[in-house]
Amino acid sequence: MNKTFRLIVLGLFVAQSLVLYIVEGMLPVPFIAPGAKLGLANLITVIALYSLPRKRDVFLILLLRVVLSTAFGGGINAFFYSAAGAAFSLSSMIILQKTGKFSLIGVSTAGGIFHNLGQVLVASAVVQNIKILLYLPVLTVAGTGTGILIGLTAYFTLKHLQKLPLYQRLQEA
Amino acid sequence: MIKKWDIILIVTLLLLSFLPEGIFLATGSGTEKNTTYAVVQVDGKEYKTIPLTGHHGTDTFTVQTPQGYNTIVVKDQEIGIVDADCPDQICVHEGFLSKPGQTSVCLPHKVMIEVRSDDADPDIIRAR
Repeated sequence: MNKTFRLIVLGLFVAQSLVLYIVEGMLPVPFIAPGAKLGLANLITVIALYSLPRKRDVFLILLLRVVLSTAFGGGINAFFYSAAGAAFSLSSMIILQKTGKFSLIGVSTAGGIFHNLGQVLVASAVVQNIKILLYLPVLTVAGTGTGILIGLTAYFTLKHLQKLPLYQRLQEA
Repeated sequence: MIKKWDIILIVTLLLLSFLPEGIFLATGSGTEKNTTYAVVQVDGKEYKTIPLTGHHGTDTFTVQTPQGYNTIVVKDQEIGIVDADCPDQICVHEGFLSKPGQTSVCLPHKVMIEVRSDDADPDIIRAR
């Protein structure tokens, strides 16, 4: 991958995740639990994780997405929540992917659950009450559902992406 | 597509997310509830104390003062003055109270309702 190609690919990924983030914000929230979201933007992270050879690029995409989505909507509080969630979810997904035991769906679901864990930990730090952790199961159940859906979507997207000659160029580190 | 390990991973993580629940339940710190109660004062003297936590149904009583009357309703875990013959009706407009620290005052009748809690919450400033 030369420099320009890498720049364009990263830009595309960031743009797509931002669009998904904004579209998600327009959807009426179907969950009763506050804080539970579809996590559509995570779809791009999962696809990037499986299509880009270097994890540093995936990290960069996620970082840019979190920073820019804060700029587009949501205040500094939302930034801390998504940053913690993103950090937890990406590290867990990278580790689980490295083990090779889990499929894309397992990795994506674990990412969703760890995203919730990160958010809840930040929330309990913000209000200085560890009892916020009692709220974790509500979020993880919702996160499991969306994680499986995101995993399935990423699986089928990647299946079709692999037919593109462009995809082969992505793999060349 | 979906592997056996995926299911093991997801179920394990889901069960682990219930771990704080179990810990709090075992230590008992998650189950204790702060009891909230309302204190009705007339002319600075305590007239009645009504526990609000765990209260169900509607109770109505009237406080008779030399200046007039105030009808107080306890509805589930809320308390409020619904009727009074004072000229300003500020206490009636205050509505129902449920959170510790909230007050409803009828100055002409010197009637005051204050919601208090056993919990020593540093954020609450008592109205006295």
